[in-house]
Amino acid sequence: MKNYYLKRVLSAILTLFIVITLTFFMMHSIPGGPFTREKALPDEIIEILNEKYHLDDPLWKQYLDYMLGVVTFDLGPSFRELGRTVNGLIADGFPASMKVGLFAVVVIIVFGIPIGIISALKQNKFVDHAAMFLATLGVTIPGFVLATLYITLVAANVDFIPITWINSPQNIGESIFRYIGPVIGLSGYSLSFVSRLTRSSMLEVLRQDYIRTARANGLSERRVIFKHALKNALIPVVTYIGPMTAAILTGSFVIEKIFVIPGIGRYFVESVSNRDYTVILGMTVFYAALYVVMVLLVDVAYSFIDPRIRLGKKLGD
Amino acid sequence: MMNASDFKYVESSQKESKEQIRPSLTYWKDAWRRLKKNVMAMIGLAMVIVIVLSAIFGPMLTPYSYSDQITDFSNIPPKIEIYQIKDGVYVYLSGQYRLILVSEDGELVERLPQIGSDLIHRVYTYEYEGLPVEVDYSNRLLEESDVDIVITYDGVTIDQPTKSVWNKTFLLGSDNLGRDVLTRVLFGARISLTVALVATLVNLFICVAYGAISGFEGGRLDNFMMRSVDVIDSIPLLLYVILLMVLINDRGLWTIVITLGSVYWVGMARLVRGQVLGLKEQEYVLAARIIGVPKHKIIIRHLIPNAMGPILVAMTMMIPTAVFTESFLSFIGLGISAPQASWGTLANDSLSAINMYPYQLLIPSFAIALTMLSFNFLGDGLRSALDPRLRKG
Amino acid sequence: MKKILEVKNLRTTFFTHVGEVQAVRGISFDLEEGDILGIVGESGSGKSVTSLSIMGLVDDPGRITEGEILFESIDLSKLTNEEMAEYRGNEISMIFQDPMTSINPVFSIGNQMIEVIMRHTKMTKEEARQRAIELLKMVGIPEPEVRIKNYPHQFSGGMRQRVMIAMAISCNPKLLIADEPTTALDVTIQAQILELMRSLKDKINSSVILITHDLGVIAEICNKVIVMYGGMIMEKSDIYSLYEKPQHPYTRGLLQSVPKNVTGTKKRLIPIEGTPPDLLSPPKGCPFSPRCPHAMEICLKEASPLYRISDTQEASCWLHHPDAPVVEGFVKVEVK
Repeated sequence: MKNYYLKRVLSAILTLFIVITLTFFMMHSIPGGPFTREKALPDEIIEILNEKYHLDDPLWKQYLDYMLGVVTFDLGPSFRELGRTVNGLIADGFPASMKVGLFAVVVIIVFGIPIGIISALKQNKFVDHAAMFLATLGVTIPGFVLATLYITLVAANVDFIPITWINSPQNIGESIFRYIGPVIGLSGYSLSFVSRLTRSSMLEVLRQDYIRTARANGLSERRVIFKHALKNALIPVVTYIGPMTAAILTGSFVIEKIFVIPGIGRYFVESVSNRDYTVILGMTVFYAALYVVMVLLVDVAYSFIDPRIRLGKKLGD
Repeated sequence: MMNASDFKYVESSQKESKEQIRPSLTYWKDAWRRLKKNVMAMIGLAMVIVIVLSAIFGPMLTPYSYSDQITDFSNIPPKIEIYQIKDGVYVYLSGQYRLILVSEDGELVERLPQIGSDLIHRVYTYEYEGLPVEVDYSNRLLEESDVDIVITYDGVTIDQPTKSVWNKTFLLGSDNLGRDVLTRVLFGARISLTVALVATLVNLFICVAYGAISGFEGGRLDNFMMRSVDVIDSIPLLLYVILLMVLINDRGLWTIVITLGSVYWVGMARLVRGQVLGLKEQEYVLAARIIGVPKHKIIIRHLIPNAMGPILVAMTMMIPTAVFTESFLSFIGLGISAPQASWGTLANDSLSAINMYPYQLLIPSFAIALTMLSFNFLGDGLRSALDPRLRKG
Repeated sequence: MKKILEVKNLRTTFFTHVGEVQAVRGISFDLEEGDILGIVGESGSGKSVTSLSIMGLVDDPGRITEGEILFESIDLSKLTNEEMAEYRGNEISMIFQDPMTSINPVFSIGNQMIEVIMRHTKMTKEEARQRAIELLKMVGIPEPEVRIKNYPHQFSGGMRQRVMIAMAISCNPKLLIADEPTTALDVTIQAQILELMRSLKDKINSSVILITHDLGVIAEICNKVIVMYGGMIMEKSDIYSLYEKPQHPYTRGLLQSVPKNVTGTKKRLIPIEGTPPDLLSPPKGCPFSPRCPHAMEICLKEASPLYRISDTQEASCWLHHPDAPVVEGFVKVEVK
């Protein structure tokens, strides 16, 4: 069992290492360096800046410095917004992304899983068809389209529903309603996906022989479904939710842009248009790290649900 | 009642009629039969065909090109409320407070010059045939009012629109530069679909080559190739695309295609390799090897055609991903450069005007959604149809 | 001998969207206390569906359309699912073919066994746990106190089947149904499991219905046999009569197609020609007639009634009718 966890952690570290290295070298392959702008700065200034930021060091040294920085959680300074660090920008933006993201994740779990279960239990009845139709729409229509529809159809026409994000809400209404749009945009896809996944997983599990055995032993239908079937059915769902959480928590760029949420997604987009390379690099590292950590957590959770993973295969007699 | 003849033995030929004979179908015919029965998949297929045809022929059929601008007529929605100021004479007040002369059935004729503005009383004055047209918009600032604007011309005052008509000059409205939205969307279709299709083909090519070689060779090469893919795949592919687009500063069509095409294949390499692994144990492969058919021929002529089923499904599902990614890139400013536009750029450009002119964002969004839906339905249907486990007879 | 189970004219049909599949087409038989009744037949003969019908486990779109299943005078076929659940795992138990897939992989076997015991008895958790350990010992699992915490994948196939048996007998069922219990196991393990079942049956005083396609298994432990084909019963017999003087062409065919280890004799294996009937449109008349070497006109038109060959043997074949031609080995019967 320790073997399993060890392998996972090593794999995660390796992945991160490769991604960071890749991005680092990609960033440094851009001609001209980060201080090239449309209006060229005088050469002396560029030289001073280069020296200050160690950009005239040999490449391998810069690489090592950067790696060292990553390990000590220092992602370097921003080259566009002089005086600010990447860490600072991330710290600024993450709380907003996280708030909205967590809300979305909770919505997905609290609604997605039960909908999937109910659809499976009432397979081919109206509830199932209706729910799955909506889920198909949710999965195929991009989040930003859903958000757009929400804004034009609902928020624009209803007074107390704000159109954009309110950072400092004045009352309870505002602090709750400001979540609706972004959550719809962020969770549309995953909510639908989780419903479909739960449903198909549940159906698959209910077909299994051990469910028949459970019924043959006289267990109540409730027990059969909520104990025997559910635990098995949730395995693929858990596997999905981990990476999904990471993706949502780090904020969809587009949703934050639409609703003007001051999250890291928006900062990322801005840094992209500004060509602020350290920020782009740093945020990519941040995303990747968060993602890899979530996947690792899921693997751990997964091992608790499925004893076959935890204990490995052994023969009994 | 039984009689003696009942107990005579039966000729064997009579017994054979009990046997069942069902026509056997080839894999593809069987799959097509199943696909036809799937209503959603057929709808998806029909929509895909419509969309593709519109993309190819649509732009030729509109009187505008994607860059033609009529600045006078900017930001006019597809459906407008017109006021009759005189017999046979109608006007429309745009969001930018321009007064447009409109024909009875919705043709935009010309913009009427503005000759005065009274900001205290909230009245703009325009000119038509030498006489002033006064537009009083003070009611718009009231919380609740049945009246929107009041127009006075030549002694006549009207405070309610005469009727609503469909915009016949710009069927889906015009954008902020006076370009026809419909034309732009159709051209956008060309771009979005081209990008999606070509990127998917590039992906397919790389993916199949990679997966086939990996699966066929097996052993350490396979191990290494798959591990590499896994490492790359453990981060959302979108990040790579964004990084690449940032690096390669070029905004051309081909850049986007190559970028998309060189990243997404990673997600399917395992699938192809799995297929090849399964197929390579088949007897005809063994036979081919014994005869001495060169490896690449085996891969190309035997393995790949037989693995086409899942590959086809994956391709169909990749197209909406490509459409989405391209739109996404455009949305964050990494897409095609103006004046060319994909659906994503159209959506992005109109984002800021979402309050005033929602149709400008809705229409390209709708196009994206519809395309993705159609391909998804089709892909879902294909996947069920091509599933060999569902084969009967 | 007391009758544990009486099945009368059972019909089970599956109402699928391609049509009605008649899996069981009117069968009747009795089970007496202490019997080990074997139901033998090919796949598609209806033997598994019969057992599922008794248990009330026939899934949509199938259901029992006719007949009675009398267990201690209660007609099981008319009970609701909740009422039937009281019997299942309790007085009537079932074990299934594939032990690999028939036990829930994410719970320990102790957890699953205790759950069943507590469901049907008033034992506390600790008492149930002790009982489970006892049962594991009974079925021959070494170190039961340790193994009770193990998960299914930590057992080999044979061990897993023993665990299933332990679960099934945990509440001392009066009737134990075993659906192909040894088919998925190695031959060497097969004998052990069958022996286990025989010894257990005496210990807990239950009657057994054993379903299989393997005549060798039947010969090992059954005292009575039912031969099914095409959803109907072809022959009902005590074990000796079946092997020595089978009274149905199908039974004969089965016996001739089984390799027998008779030293010195080199006999050819005679397979039965033809394929099983399509239960979507079952043939009129005897289901075996298309493949029967002695088929007569009437066989194609009407199914034969059950002829009483002796006190312990019945066969459904027109050859037993006085007007039928004489075939060696087939007895004529006057009375039905």
